[in-house]
Amino acid sequence: MTDNIYLPKIGRIVGIDEETQGARAIKTFKVEFPNSDGFEHNCGQCAMLSMFGKGESMISIASSPLVKEYKQFSIMKMGRVTSAFHAARVGDFIGIRGPYGNQFPLDDWKGRDLVFIGGGVGLAPIWPVIQTAVARREDFGKITVFYGARTSSNIMYEADFEKLKASVEVQLSVDAPEEGWPGYTGFVPANLMDKAPSPDNAIAITCGPPIMIKFVIQNLQALGFADEQIYTTIENKMKCGIGKCGRCNVGKDYVCVKGPVYSWAELKSLPQEY
Amino acid sequence: MVNVEEIRDFAAGLLERGEVKSVLGFRHGSASAFAEPCTLTEADDAASLVWDPTCLNNLALYLVKDRKQQAASKTPDTRPVGIVAKGCDSRAVGVLLQENYFKREDVVVIGISCEGTGVVDPKKLSNKLKGRTASRVTFDGADGISVSVYGDETETVIPAREVLADRCLECRAAAPALNNVVFGDSVEARDYNEPFHAAKEAENVSEDERWATWEHHFDRCLRCFACRAVCPMCYCPECVVDSTTFVVTLGTSAKEKANRIRWCERSANTSESAVYHLTRAIHLAGRCIDCGECERVCPVNIPLRLLNTKLEKEAFEMFEYQAGHDIEQASLLSSFRDEDPNSFIR
Amino acid sequence: MEKILSQEKLREWVDTLDDCEVHAPAFADSVWNYARIEAGADIDLSHTNTIGSIKTFVFPQREVFFRFEKKDGVPLLTSTLPDPIPTVVFGVRPCDGRGMPRNDTVFNKEFEDPYYWARRDKLTLIGLACNQPHSPNCFCQSVGGSPHSEEGLDILMTDLGDRFHVKGITAKGVEIMERGRDAFDAVSDSDQADAGKIHETSRSYPQRPLGDLDAIPEALRENFDSPLWADMAQHCIGCGICTFLCPTCHCFDINDEVTSPTSGEGERVRTWDNCQFPDFTMHTSGHNPRGDLGSRLRQRVNHKFLYFVENHNTQQCTGCGRCITECPVGIDIVAVLERVSQ
Repeated sequence: MTDNIYLPKIGRIVGIDEETQGARAIKTFKVEFPNSDGFEHNCGQCAMLSMFGKGESMISIASSPLVKEYKQFSIMKMGRVTSAFHAARVGDFIGIRGPYGNQFPLDDWKGRDLVFIGGGVGLAPIWPVIQTAVARREDFGKITVFYGARTSSNIMYEADFEKLKASVEVQLSVDAPEEGWPGYTGFVPANLMDKAPSPDNAIAITCGPPIMIKFVIQNLQALGFADEQIYTTIENKMKCGIGKCGRCNVGKDYVCVKGPVYSWAELKSLPQEY
Repeated sequence: MVNVEEIRDFAAGLLERGEVKSVLGFRHGSASAFAEPCTLTEADDAASLVWDPTCLNNLALYLVKDRKQQAASKTPDTRPVGIVAKGCDSRAVGVLLQENYFKREDVVVIGISCEGTGVVDPKKLSNKLKGRTASRVTFDGADGISVSVYGDETETVIPAREVLADRCLECRAAAPALNNVVFGDSVEARDYNEPFHAAKEAENVSEDERWATWEHHFDRCLRCFACRAVCPMCYCPECVVDSTTFVVTLGTSAKEKANRIRWCERSANTSESAVYHLTRAIHLAGRCIDCGECERVCPVNIPLRLLNTKLEKEAFEMFEYQAGHDIEQASLLSSFRDEDPNSFIR
Repeated sequence: MEKILSQEKLREWVDTLDDCEVHAPAFADSVWNYARIEAGADIDLSHTNTIGSIKTFVFPQREVFFRFEKKDGVPLLTSTLPDPIPTVVFGVRPCDGRGMPRNDTVFNKEFEDPYYWARRDKLTLIGLACNQPHSPNCFCQSVGGSPHSEEGLDILMTDLGDRFHVKGITAKGVEIMERGRDAFDAVSDSDQADAGKIHETSRSYPQRPLGDLDAIPEALRENFDSPLWADMAQHCIGCGICTFLCPTCHCFDINDEVTSPTSGEGERVRTWDNCQFPDFTMHTSGHNPRGDLGSRLRQRVNHKFLYFVENHNTQQCTGCGRCITECPVGIDIVAVLERVSQ
């Protein structure tokens, strides 16, 4: 029998971290494969997660490909499926199929400086790249991670950032003034201009709310980054994940297959239908 | 006889004097013998207007569409709109006025009397031609519809009553009562079918047979939602049968979205399609003006009009209510009277 | 393999396929559509084109992917991959036939769709050449096809008046012909000449022209931001007729349908979906990348005449004309392409 690509594997939630609170809370789920039928993935890929009876949602795999025991997903509470995830408990079962999409071309970036710019839940898709780059620290030049959240309590992966500081430069920001905040106050694009990383032999990788991405790219260009040096990851509504259902179609691409990772040079050639 | 030149002149005049921002009318279609809707904004374009028995669409739909567009626009253009309307179409404008969808001064009704005939039912025509396409359909002015068949250019005259839409055969008001102007003679005496003829016929069969018939029809439904999309009364920004709501904004909470009840699944099967069509019919009770658009657009020919006229008949028999006939009247479902048969409201 | 089949023997041939599901056009509810026939006596090939396309045989409106339930607290999934008996479809018009290889491309590509192929592998398509266009909206020849195109078909029949010329195109088709071998006669030179004549005549009827097909992608690229789209979609009602009736439109939705709210049992179901519906691309945030009718009409046209060409070097349109004829408000893809090409 042909492999049934629509039939999800069973995953079990083995850990839940509450990243942020509020109406659009973010939780990070660690998922294991109890039937030992897990899959390998690359940085930037996604998986279609199911809550049976509620439906499926395409979610970025937020853990590093080097971590084999589990996969990690950071999910913002937005609709039917994600609300079901937020109501789930450790030990609950989910469906999971994938991995889908292309990847960040990390191997092509050997010897270069890496500048990561993330905002809000947009940190999740680039987190595995950061983790992998750190694990292969000697392969790359200077690594800088910009990350901004609305308030300090909305900062994702807080504990991991502390560990990260040992090997890379971390530039955190919050949108509004906060008493005792040691980092930058203001939006991510402004923090980026303030620190002005050099474009020489560098690659910038950004993900966050669409409006943030827009200004980050403008600012990167102002700093001298060429279109080929800027990478981002886009999302669209997806149903199948395998380039058939037509929902994520942008120009000639099905984002679920050809994306979600694009250089700005590639993205510019597609219609802005995302 | 309706003189189409008079309609063109009137429309051009409205546009020329700036009394309307646009005129909704009919023009020759590029695709078939049937006319298609058009929106004129220049007086010069009025020459393209046509009037014949293939002017099927109820253009009141586009009044609703315009209203929605202006509501969403940062620079709304709220000037009046002119609309070419048959008797049934004018009643649709009437219902929209009763429901305060817009004001009387927002619309200039260019009424056209069907003069005792009406428009062609493409399905009946298709039946006559066994699926072949008509390349030309004209009304001979008496009681004949003249039809040329595509690929076989001979002209056949078919008695009007054999290809006229059912609603036209049962029409109670072929001249638009609500109007700013009417073209054509008001012909009240008609010797076609009595009102609600088809609904009454359908009631004559047993419940089991009726259910079997509708099961057959619901089974064939493609769920293309053309019936809903074409209906001027189906103007709700969100519909109970949709699994998603279109009034989602950046501020809509996850809870609200997650808790949205799916009254009807997307699957096109008997139960879900029955829920869809029956819910729609109920929501049109006392509102449907029998323009027959839902039935006309259905690609698989589900006789949807029957569902609606059945409820229209109930409204008429129980409450002497006819949707869109009198815009001063409160709408059926938002009013009650002491003599209403149900006691719960009192 | 080429044979001659008399009108009377057609029924005989159909009857030899008694272990197959046989479908043929039928005129019911004032419309031609495919229906299952039980015996050769039921076959009627006097149809124009069917309202629904043959995609429904491989991509049904509703496909259950699997059932889900809970067993000892663990989700148990039962695949519902179909295992149909061989299905033979008569009377397929060449435009629909040409749609099939285009669908094959979509459902193959990088990921093979097992539900599609379970049905596709069991399907035999018997075409019927069009002796003349059925509708003023036929434009098969304008998109590289022809009224007697064999592409995608297993057998092509041509109506010679009192008899059919029957040509086996694929091994699958030849096998179906072999089964009814007693019904067929040998083909003579004059039969061949008659078929050739009919084919030639069928190509001579005027069809809606599209001009230079190769120039269309560039015209669409250039007009991406054109105000024409909003103008042409002005009267669009946003229904699903054009895409649902299209032989090559393949977009779909996947939903969970709970059959027992108490146990949480249910089915994951694929249903047809449509790029003209407003929720098709709407994100959960409410952001909609194609939020207006103009951009959605552009998507339908671009997908068929630009994106598909870029990816697969052919149009995703076979000129059947259904989307034109059935559009309730006269939106006409040929007229649309004419306007953007001007």
